[in-house]
Amino acid sequence: MAILLTITVLLPLLGTLVLILTPKLEDEAARRVGLAFALVTLALTLILLLGFRSEVKGPQFSFIRDGRYGLAWLGRPDIRFALGLDGLSLWLFVLTSLLVITAIGASWMSIKEKVAAHFAFLLALETGLLGLFASLDVVLFYIFFEFTLIPLFFLIGLWGGPERRRAAVTFFLYTLAGSLLTLLGVIALVVVHYQYSRGHVLTFSIPELTNGLAAMQWKGWKSAGSWTSPQVLIFLLLFAGFAIKVPMFPFHTWLPLAHVEAPTAGSILLAGVLLKVGSYGLLRFNIGMTPLGAAALFPFLATLAVIGIIYGALAALAQTDVKRLVAFSSVSHMGFVVLGMFALNSTGLDGSSIQMLNHGLTTGALFACVGMIYERYHTRDLTKIGGLWNRLPLLAFFLILAALGSAAVPGLNGFVGEFPILVGTFERSRRAAVLGATGMILGACYLLWMVRKVIFGPLLEPMHSGEGALPVGEGAVSAGEGAVSAGDASTHATVPPVGWHEIAGLTPLMVLIVAIGVYPRPFLEQMGPAIARIDENVQTQRAEARTLAPAPPLKSGAMTPGARRAAAMSKGQSTAKGKGAAPKSAAPATRKQQTGQAGPSSPAAKPLEKRP
Amino acid sequence: MNPPSSLATFEQTALVLIPEFILLATAMAMMTASAFIRRPRRAWCAASAFALLAALMALTITVPSLLALRGQETDLYSAVALNDDLSFYARIVLVLTGLVVIALAHDEPADERAGEFFGALLMINAGAMLVATANELVFLFVGLELVSMPTYLLLYLSRRTRATQEAAIKYFLLSIFASGLLLYGLTFLYGAAGISNLKAIGFFFDKLPMPQAQLGLLAVVFVLAGLCFRVTAVPLHFYAPDVYQGSPMVVAALLSWVPKAVGFLAIVRVLTAVLAAKDGADPLLQKAIWLSWIIAAATMIWGNFVALLQDDLKRLLAYSSIAHAGYLMVGVTAAFANDRHGGGVYFGSESIFFYLVAYALMTLGLFGGLISLRFKDRAVETVDDLAGLGWTHPWSALGLSICLLSLSGIPPLAGFWGKFQIFASLLAAGQGDESGLYVVLAVIGMLSAAVGAYYYLRLVVVMYFRSSKEPIQVRGGWPIAAAVGACASLTVILGLFSSSLSSAAHAAAKSALPNPSVSGSQVATTPVPAAPAESAF
Repeated sequence: MAILLTITVLLPLLGTLVLILTPKLEDEAARRVGLAFALVTLALTLILLLGFRSEVKGPQFSFIRDGRYGLAWLGRPDIRFALGLDGLSLWLFVLTSLLVITAIGASWMSIKEKVAAHFAFLLALETGLLGLFASLDVVLFYIFFEFTLIPLFFLIGLWGGPERRRAAVTFFLYTLAGSLLTLLGVIALVVVHYQYSRGHVLTFSIPELTNGLAAMQWKGWKSAGSWTSPQVLIFLLLFAGFAIKVPMFPFHTWLPLAHVEAPTAGSILLAGVLLKVGSYGLLRFNIGMTPLGAAALFPFLATLAVIGIIYGALAALAQTDVKRLVAFSSVSHMGFVVLGMFALNSTGLDGSSIQMLNHGLTTGALFACVGMIYERYHTRDLTKIGGLWNRLPLLAFFLILAALGSAAVPGLNGFVGEFPILVGTFERSRRAAVLGATGMILGACYLLWMVRKVIFGPLLEPMHSGEGALPVGEGAVSAGEGAVSAGDASTHATVPPVGWHEIAGLTPLMVLIVAIGVYPRPFLEQMGPAIARIDENVQTQRAEARTLAPAPPLKSGAMTPGARRAAAMSKGQSTAKGKGAAPKSAAPATRKQQTGQAGPSSPAAKPLEKRP
Repeated sequence: MNPPSSLATFEQTALVLIPEFILLATAMAMMTASAFIRRPRRAWCAASAFALLAALMALTITVPSLLALRGQETDLYSAVALNDDLSFYARIVLVLTGLVVIALAHDEPADERAGEFFGALLMINAGAMLVATANELVFLFVGLELVSMPTYLLLYLSRRTRATQEAAIKYFLLSIFASGLLLYGLTFLYGAAGISNLKAIGFFFDKLPMPQAQLGLLAVVFVLAGLCFRVTAVPLHFYAPDVYQGSPMVVAALLSWVPKAVGFLAIVRVLTAVLAAKDGADPLLQKAIWLSWIIAAATMIWGNFVALLQDDLKRLLAYSSIAHAGYLMVGVTAAFANDRHGGGVYFGSESIFFYLVAYALMTLGLFGGLISLRFKDRAVETVDDLAGLGWTHPWSALGLSICLLSLSGIPPLAGFWGKFQIFASLLAAGQGDESGLYVVLAVIGMLSAAVGAYYYLRLVVVMYFRSSKEPIQVRGGWPIAAAVGACASLTVILGLFSSSLSSAAHAAAKSALPNPSVSGSQVATTPVPAAPAESAF
């Protein structure tokens, strides 16, 4: 199975190469090749899904060599090509494969220029995303994480809307700035683990790091008293990149622009999967490896999440562009995901992790529907379209189901995620839960409002020439809908019905939306062990931190740079003086050993050592 | 053990320097001959390429086998030129990049000046290789000057306009000034230690208290200042944009690579390797760390931010090269902070060596790609000139894009691993209280790298997202195409399989340390080298 996972991840990249390197590929052939690769990848993913064993706690489908995950890649230091799936990543992996099909279906007819390149970039993006969720090595994770930027940059920049260039650059730079800080955080984790863990193990493996950091005996690590405590500091570094990806308020500003300008396929993958990368990273790294930082910063994080929920919902209410509306709804819904996970209890974590999947399904579907409307009418303006039920009933069905799922109507998938999130948050902070719940109400408002505008009511279709809505007076609408729509229909006889590629892309999403809503247990069971593990780690570390008496913050944080320098100087001088007197045997005790024993010992002990 | 006789030292030096002799002899022959005979520039170019290949053969086959035949252990504390892992690594890289530079230049000089032009290129290469081997203050300085002087010649040879002349004179005067600073610093180093052998100085600094700590500081400040000019680090960077803009693209490519490589090799040989023996808390070392910290931060910020404002390609590349000097200075900071066991993850100097190779590939690839582009009646000069290249010349644009993305540090390209190693070595260098300092520098570096990504991305955007106005021609023939192709594909290959280069860089870093017998992080005791101490006295 390990080899199967590797093939699944790399297969789309092979498709990219085929599409790019085949000279003079016909458009139709390019579409078919792209779809074929995506379908085979999906099939392999489903085989993996069937082969997944829920009861196993650790990652599955991974090569294991000499007791370590993955294949040797860079010899020194030991960065490995390690892929594997656990409960947390499994469904996101499946979601990626599914949504790529949706994206290909959505761009089947709408992309007319440079078709081969478009599908090539889509497949490259798929490899990036699949690899990212399956990575068991921090550096490999980061490589896939950054790699996703390049195809998406080109997708937005080449096939996007009128502002596409600005959108592509903003998206790229904004995410890059954050993710470079995340890289620092990742390196810092590895270094801290190396310097302070027992036996000074240098490892880049995610499971090993998670376990090693949890078992660390260094007191500084187990206290999160101040802003410069290691866990808090590293948490913030990691958070920088993931918060931008999620995106959390106030780092969301790139999102509406990118969404509006991106082609439909780009939007589907961006909202459906790339935002999950942020929340997945938060769960895997921030909460998995620096839980005390997460606990210490809860008020700050919860505030941001709640602001994001309410702000996103209010902004969505104010939009007349359907795509912007869905984009802002993402800000709001991802706020729930983050709020739930930072409640740091099993209910909240459960809810968050299933909500990631839910949001991917519903928002992916919503964007696909919006794309279908845009492709037919060349507008996304809510005031110019309406009553599509009469024209495209199948589209109306998809849109309504996705919107209801997104609005967390019981019986559909959104409820299964958002309810536990709110319950979990309630345990932690009532205020945050109550405020967050208003976001659910607002969410229902804007989604239903959108559905009412677009689907119900009299048929309203813009002119094809793009001059705006038909000159239909208010009176005429209220007077006789039938006449108007009939007259309308004659001018719009060319609106194509929902095509097979669109149906094929959306149906699996609809099935899952209903399935998760009606019978969520199998999904939760598969995610359960991985989440239980994270939860266990969080609770243990928090208990340990509590038993440590109010720990003194690290010295370096409290000192001003000047004072630190002075201290360093005096330390230097005293060591220099001591060098002659002290027996030379002290010198060979290398810095490494000092960090092993002396370094970690409480800062208060240091002045004692310095005394001659 | 007695110190080896002068004759033995000379023999050893002469053997080590065979590749440089080949290059210098060819260069002198070419320069002399060019006064009397006329040949098309193709001939001169071929001759210099053969000289480089011969040097490569000598380096990989002749020198090691002759040294093995001679059978004597090199005495580190009296040798003038070393053939350790560092010098092998650096010289191989320099010869190979020399070939790339010659390929880029093959179309540049006029026939009547071609002999001098290629001769000067060979001399610069030889000088750079001398610096890599140097184990002696004076010898190192000679190597550095052997790089500078032919550079003046190159700048003058291509004089065409007032701008070119201004660039040449500016570089000339400032370079002399910088050499003066460096020499001044070297004298203090000599004064503090009383000996000019670098390994011996390192040994003294380790074992003996420094009589006058101020002398050491003066030495560090002036040496660093002199070398900052070569590597275009703030505050001695300001000449770069003007000189790049005023000189032909090929010379700009040379200026952005060779002096930088030489400067950082010299910094490692003279400063970090010498001071690395010291305890991290040593006051002199603390000051050196602070100094390089400040230079690194200022260089990264200044280079990246000012590059945002540039429209001229050469000026943009000049600021980009300043910014990369900043990242390399971060590596220097880490190298100062490392003791001989390194940070455990990467040595600071190791990350410098790796980054230099990545930088050479991506910068020379980028310059080469730009050299090959031309409009019918003028050169490609501004960013907007590249509009639509991605669709008119997909292969050129692909090569350029790979180099640009690598420069901005996107994985999985070589530039990413360079940045990764530099910042990993920096974070690993910090322990306990000091680590905050390094984290701050790393954050500054990462944020300015993100800013820097903008101007690289701008070029990609122009190439792919705009349509071309004027048809661009690709010229330069197979040598440039091969050079650019090699650079771009190596950038990708090194991104995917960096381990062999990485381990070579590691070996080089270890050999640069004062006590090469002490290896890696697993050794806890320090064998005291008693014999060399006697021999040094």
